[in-house]
Amino acid sequence: MIFLKRQLPLAITFVVGVIFAVQYYVPHPISEEAITHAADTMKIVAAFALLLGIASLFHVHALKIKRQVPGWGYSFVLYLAMFVMIVIGFWSGGENKVDGAQTGFGWMYEFMMVPLQATMFSILAFFIASAAYRAFRARSREAAVLLAAAIIVMMGRVPLGQFLLPWTWDLTQWLLNVINSAVRRAILIGISMGAVALSVKIILGYERSYLGGGKDQ
Amino acid sequence: MISIDRRIIFLLIALATLLPLLNPFGLPIKVSPEVRGVYEYIENLPEGSVFLLSLDFDPSSKPELEPQAIALLRHAFRKHLRVIGMTHWLPGTGLADSIFARVAKEMDKQPGQDYVFLGWGPGQGSLIISMGQDLYKAFPSDYAKRPTQGMPVLHDVRNLRDVNYMVSLAAGSSGIEMWYIYGKDKYRFEMAGGSTGVIAPGLYPFLRSGQINGLIGGLQGAAEYETLINQKGTAVAGMDAQSVDHLVIIVLVLLCNLFYFMLRGEKGSPA
Amino acid sequence: MNVVAFLCLLFFSGVAFAAPPSLAPPEGFRVLDTPNDTGKSLSLVWKASPSDSKNRSIQVWAVESPHAAFKKVAEFPSNTRYVKAGDFPWWAQPAGKGEHYVKLSSSQAFPIEDGKSYAVKLLVREGDQEAWSEIAEGRPAPNFFNQAQVNNLVFVLAFTGVLLASIAAARRNPHIYLRRIAGLDAVEEAIGRSTEMGRPILYLTGSGGMDDVSTIAATVILGEVAKKVAHYETSLKVPHRNPIVMAVCQEIVKEAYIEAGRPDAYKDDSNFFITSDQFSYTAAVDGIMLREKPAANFFMGSYFAEALLLTETGASTGAIQIAGTDSDHQLPFFVTTCDYTLIGEELYAASAYLSREPVLVGTLRGQDFGKAFIMSVLVFGTALATIGVIAGTENYFNYVLDLFKDFK
Repeated sequence: MIFLKRQLPLAITFVVGVIFAVQYYVPHPISEEAITHAADTMKIVAAFALLLGIASLFHVHALKIKRQVPGWGYSFVLYLAMFVMIVIGFWSGGENKVDGAQTGFGWMYEFMMVPLQATMFSILAFFIASAAYRAFRARSREAAVLLAAAIIVMMGRVPLGQFLLPWTWDLTQWLLNVINSAVRRAILIGISMGAVALSVKIILGYERSYLGGGKDQ
Repeated sequence: MISIDRRIIFLLIALATLLPLLNPFGLPIKVSPEVRGVYEYIENLPEGSVFLLSLDFDPSSKPELEPQAIALLRHAFRKHLRVIGMTHWLPGTGLADSIFARVAKEMDKQPGQDYVFLGWGPGQGSLIISMGQDLYKAFPSDYAKRPTQGMPVLHDVRNLRDVNYMVSLAAGSSGIEMWYIYGKDKYRFEMAGGSTGVIAPGLYPFLRSGQINGLIGGLQGAAEYETLINQKGTAVAGMDAQSVDHLVIIVLVLLCNLFYFMLRGEKGSPA
Repeated sequence: MNVVAFLCLLFFSGVAFAAPPSLAPPEGFRVLDTPNDTGKSLSLVWKASPSDSKNRSIQVWAVESPHAAFKKVAEFPSNTRYVKAGDFPWWAQPAGKGEHYVKLSSSQAFPIEDGKSYAVKLLVREGDQEAWSEIAEGRPAPNFFNQAQVNNLVFVLAFTGVLLASIAAARRNPHIYLRRIAGLDAVEEAIGRSTEMGRPILYLTGSGGMDDVSTIAATVILGEVAKKVAHYETSLKVPHRNPIVMAVCQEIVKEAYIEAGRPDAYKDDSNFFITSDQFSYTAAVDGIMLREKPAANFFMGSYFAEALLLTETGASTGAIQIAGTDSDHQLPFFVTTCDYTLIGEELYAASAYLSREPVLVGTLRGQDFGKAFIMSVLVFGTALATIGVIAGTENYFNYVLDLFKDFK
């Protein structure tokens, strides 16, 4: 059992990790085909993993209904919504349109999913305003500089700001192209080094948290 | 600090958004060099060039990225380019298809002849590699289940090396960086990006290093593109509302700091 | 005088009626297999000529079989297609700087197959004049190693070596200094607060899958948080967007409880799947925050637009919030709404800081060496490039600068 849970996954990780690290330096078409095959395998694994997720979802809500915890009625709503979407989806063959006519699935997508998702994203506008009012205080010199830069960019990125204070446009362009680019590059370098280090540790077996469970010595 | 009920702030934002939409005042839109870069590249493409447009977003980013997609498609169709559309985001497939269908109908373009919408394919990076090797293997049929092999719009197009220009409109991961790493880096086509306003600043290093030749950022970027193609749409219409929203947030922030310093002055210590 | 005039007339008329100088064919023309490529292409190289101009054109004619007719495959002005500095690394260049270089790739007009021999010749044309080059042959083949990326490989191997050496050093001496990360000191405080208030702890692992480095870092930190939570018997809730991450986190939390000596306190449903859709997940988690009012919220991993929706809702419930992300576009939102934020690689460092494991601490040290090297190269390279431009010696400095460039 230890072999299946530990040694075998580590061995697979090492072999596959080295192969695909080396693949980057191999231009031969064989290496691109290898990546495509590996990606196809990952898609199949991901599909099975989705079943795991759906099982967990059903289990959690079944427990809520069984124990009648506060709000358990919404678990019924969840089951109903899933059932309706799945049935209509199969009935429509998974198509939004058939011969130019919108299907039931397409109707639910266009008039339920699209507005709901756009609405959730739009809530950000309100939350940004309330977060800004609560937190954008010039508590220190650095915070004051940050605040000034934020106001300049907010003015410089909209026509009204460009109209009222024309100089904010050029300053915004400079801030985005020079200061912002430099800082993003630095963050990218740091993150990339961390990513390379973690990948090397995983391939060589130093990092085993992805296997779940304790750390072996 | 004197706190204002969040609901009052929400109401102010709602009014700041709604009133300019109902009573637009229409200010001129200045065009930035990064948006102009995309426009000029498309403008200089000869008729019949292959233009790949990847709509890598879902309905939540529709307000910002749909205007960009519409403006780019209008420009590409006007230049009689051969347009290939696709998406890496499964929930956005229906939306992407409706955008293509709508603009094509407006510009009198025929699917299969002037453009093709390939739909969604699994794999993300490996899908791009697959398209780079053989487009027809990656997408044997388009979204409407028509075989891609033999389509007039795809004449002489075998893989991504035959694409003349590519733009990815991205709302997050599975977007511009992925297209650069697995696409442009390997198959050497020129590319640009369009993104939501919040991730646009993070893409400036790619722009400065020449990895992308242009960047359309958020609703402002879409408005700039609509101005360049002389066809105003929802982006320009939305800029009035965005302008007033920004002004309201600036006023709120200044107010917050005014209260902070007033109280700090009174108490003699940070509030 | 008449003789001199006659001789002059003879000379100049001879000059006037002399045949114009004939066009010279391209010199040094050769055909090679394109190096460091996937195959199906040939490289054409020939020397530059002082007479190259936009009025003179070069045509490329090629044929697969030597007995078939040559076919025109390309045409361009003769004063183009030069090898410029930065086109190839000095250790893997098929043509010298200043020579002409053209890559002939397979196309529908002229397909090129690997392993077959192709004959190519050039035609120089200016006005009515033409000149053919010698016929040169080449055989394309795919390459197994991209020599242009040797510098990249060397750096990767060197960095790996430094990393392993740092880990070995950390194992010998585990008391390496790690600067204080404020957010992590607050983890204990957050867990204690939740225990006192009798409210749960909410831990989110972000939007990424197990192939995302930040998600792995988040799961490692979850293990450490779960160990502390097990001691205090506080309720832990970990809603998930990704079923694979959920499966991994279930094992991690279970193992953490066992290590803490509290396997009885472990609850199977502490890790649960909600949905993979971004805003549906956000709405569900917001609902959990508003109903159950956790006392501490942890946001670790990669996030997108949902970040502010989650953190602002959490802030409205009065929870202490600790975030850690490498999604730099969401950092402003985390910083304004959370009590503590781990920025970028502080997230990766967090697992080392909490556990103090030699492997993790050694990795941090190795990364620091890497960053120090990059900073030195940036300063040194900038100085070299600047001096090169001022003194006009950039050609020599390119031998050093090329070592740090990314060639394809």
